[in-house]
Amino acid sequence: MGRRRRWVGQVAGTRAGALPEAIAALSRTLSAGPSPETFRRAKFDFPEAAPPLWRLLFYVLSPLSEDDIAASLTPEARVRLVKSAMRAQGYPRLAFSRLPEDGSQGSRELLLALSWLLARGPLLERLLARTRVRLGDEMPVCECEDLPCGRASPGPPTLCKDTEGCVDVRHVQWLMGKLRFRWRNLICSHQAQCALLSKIHEYTLGCHSDQSLNHLSAAETELLRDPEGGQQLLQMLEFENMRLEAALEWRRLEQVFWQWMDTVLGACPPDFPHAGSQSTFLPSIPDPGAGELDLVARELQALQVELREAVEVRRAAWEAQVRGLRPERSAEMRALKEAVGRELATLQQAWEREGGPVRPHRPHRLVRSEAGALPGQGLWAAEAIGALRNKEACLEAVLCWLQGQCQQELARLAGALPGVIWIPPHGR
Amino acid sequence: MSIVTVQLGQCGNQIGFEVFDVLFSDSYCSQGLCSKKENEAYQASCKERFFSEEENGVLAARAVLVDMEPKVINQTLSKAAQSGRWKYGQHACFCQKQGSGNNWAYGYSVHGPRHEESIMNLIQKQVEKCDSLSGFFIIMSMAGGTGSGLGAFVTQNLQDQYPNSLKMNQIIWPYGTGEVIVQNYNSILTLSHLYRSSDALLVHENDAIHKICVKRMNIKQISFSNINQVLAHQLGSIFQPTYSAEGSFHCRRNPLGDLMEDLVPHPEFKMLGVRNIPQMSENSLAYSTFTWAGLLKHLRQMLISNAKMEEGINWQVRPPLSGLPALGKMSFNKELHFNTSIANLVILRGKDAQSADLAGFKDPALYTSWLEPDNAFNVWKTQRAFNKYEKSAALVSNSQFLVKPLDVIVGKAWNMFASKAYIHQYTKFGIEEEDFLDSFTLLEQVITSYYNL
Repeated sequence: MGRRRRWVGQVAGTRAGALPEAIAALSRTLSAGPSPETFRRAKFDFPEAAPPLWRLLFYVLSPLSEDDIAASLTPEARVRLVKSAMRAQGYPRLAFSRLPEDGSQGSRELLLALSWLLARGPLLERLLARTRVRLGDEMPVCECEDLPCGRASPGPPTLCKDTEGCVDVRHVQWLMGKLRFRWRNLICSHQAQCALLSKIHEYTLGCHSDQSLNHLSAAETELLRDPEGGQQLLQMLEFENMRLEAALEWRRLEQVFWQWMDTVLGACPPDFPHAGSQSTFLPSIPDPGAGELDLVARELQALQVELREAVEVRRAAWEAQVRGLRPERSAEMRALKEAVGRELATLQQAWEREGGPVRPHRPHRLVRSEAGALPGQGLWAAEAIGALRNKEACLEAVLCWLQGQCQQELARLAGALPGVIWIPPHGR
Repeated sequence: MSIVTVQLGQCGNQIGFEVFDVLFSDSYCSQGLCSKKENEAYQASCKERFFSEEENGVLAARAVLVDMEPKVINQTLSKAAQSGRWKYGQHACFCQKQGSGNNWAYGYSVHGPRHEESIMNLIQKQVEKCDSLSGFFIIMSMAGGTGSGLGAFVTQNLQDQYPNSLKMNQIIWPYGTGEVIVQNYNSILTLSHLYRSSDALLVHENDAIHKICVKRMNIKQISFSNINQVLAHQLGSIFQPTYSAEGSFHCRRNPLGDLMEDLVPHPEFKMLGVRNIPQMSENSLAYSTFTWAGLLKHLRQMLISNAKMEEGINWQVRPPLSGLPALGKMSFNKELHFNTSIANLVILRGKDAQSADLAGFKDPALYTSWLEPDNAFNVWKTQRAFNKYEKSAALVSNSQFLVKPLDVIVGKAWNMFASKAYIHQYTKFGIEEEDFLDSFTLLEQVITSYYNL
């Protein structure tokens, strides 16, 4: 926020009435935002401003469109979801996380939280992209953009079960199995969708007025089938235009808002983030690629340290105890070295792949065309598949490593119970 | 979404025909007792699921027929063609001249690898005809040679080639009196292999269906065809369309997927049984009326007392009182009176199905302690009557109902194995003693898991 504040300092003498206009523009951009009056009341922490602001934050933070899940959630659940999403994004204010769960209070804290989100990242752009009217068939090439949002919103939080009472492992296995079936179902549906899109694209070959597209998308075909839908589409486009205009307006006026927010910040009592026993927050890094790199780097480092220690201990032990058995030991040593080398190489490869050429991130319109028919623009399916394969390989390597860790841990645990026979689970 | 059926061996092919025949005749039956629009949606849904339309407008079953002897396949094809209403696809059959002689190992280790490519190609062709594939329905016997041995082999191949598609195996439990000396060997090999590669085993016991034919259908001389018709009725009552949700009139998109998600998510509990009510001959049906309350009361008692039909139910069996240990949980060797469930799915078809009260199935005492009834019980409904029954209910249950017969089969097989009887018939074709031991271990584990619910 510091950066913003410096800008604001340079703007002097803004005209009166600019603030309500700025807030109104923001509200219109958010399509269902509360009125400027609500914001004004929130500055003074009036309770009546709290419910609309909770709703707004929920809309901003939930990964799905509002209608889908809002209806099924109680206000308490929404408050919990907003809080956990903010926590996952690294929002540090203790006062916010202590707001009562009935959603009746804390309008000023909510205003601060919203501004923090606005100041922090491309929030409006993301929201506008999410509700964009989609005429073409699209394919997300890379899911990493969704990840921060996905991480932040792990779905409606379930009621915390008493962790002291024991959970039957069969119950967990049951839930895991359900998840597996849903996952397979999703994959099947996805394949079916691809097959149907391909059919539409083939049937409508040569129908599109745009030469570079050459065929219709599913939405366009639907318009042909049902002309009534055109009216609806027009409305949706007009609505989207309105929001985009509002977003431009907001860009023009936002400095006034930040200036005002300074006064809001000044009006609230200081927060002590390190007071109390609140667990530390993990700051989320906006670029997920860097986050993963960091993770790999940390893992690599930890592994190196671990291996070095293991090797040193073993070497010392061998040299001290079994000088007579050198040839045998040296073979073992060589094998160990090779294993370490292999593991290092895998990790280094993973690292290099992560840092490789910049991969395309935005969703792309799916277009079927003959080889070479398109000019250089766009992304070829082969490239996209290559990128996804790369990603898959990386994830698989990580999975393998984690599974290895788990197996070791299990073996260790099983070894600690001499009377128990270990039978690995069958199937799946 | 579509389901590709694989009919294997004599038993699989005969049952497969009856299943498609019931699905077709029910879909196009005039006594659906529902609005025209609803009936059309029902037909369309059934068609998408089980039939593809050929160029001349005739419906062809989404099925692949496999047998090692031509006789049954030829009969099946001609019966379908004679029906004049639907048929099998032109290139959907695979048959050979020589059977497996009731030797599981021969089906699994000889016929399987030898004909793998041809069979998988046929299946691939059927799969390509589906806009969206939900999974496979594999019909086979448990105790024979071709159906069971080759069936296990094909299921394993499907698992390798279509890991994301669902696989449900319909298996026929042999008569207790026994048709084949090595049927217990074949059975444990089939079950243990399917447990590794299939998602769900839908089990029908020949004995139980035979009794239904005698007691409920009033058939004097029972043929395989009679038995298969009862079986096909039960299968049809599961897989015909139902509403996707309470209050919705859309058909469920993926019944196979939903059924598995409801009943068999746990990898150790994959055995499903079906019970239907009412079941009676067409003549008696005309003079009978039923209420949902009465049907469901009987169905519930059939579930908890492990009865196979509405006749001869033991009404003394009661769910264990909460707070006391369930009978099933007490002792290993003690006779199981109360049939504890893991999960149940009730499917109601017919008049006023929406208003039926299912509270009796939501009693936590019916289920294992680690699943809440919310998780363990599901219901599907449709107003559309099924197969001329004004009201009918089917119960698909994952419960202890098969643990005793399974225990018996494993015990008999073990006794034979301990004296090494007939083992050479199997080792000759590459099924080693080690494989038997693996099968015993796996099934003992399954039995223990079911006993300890």
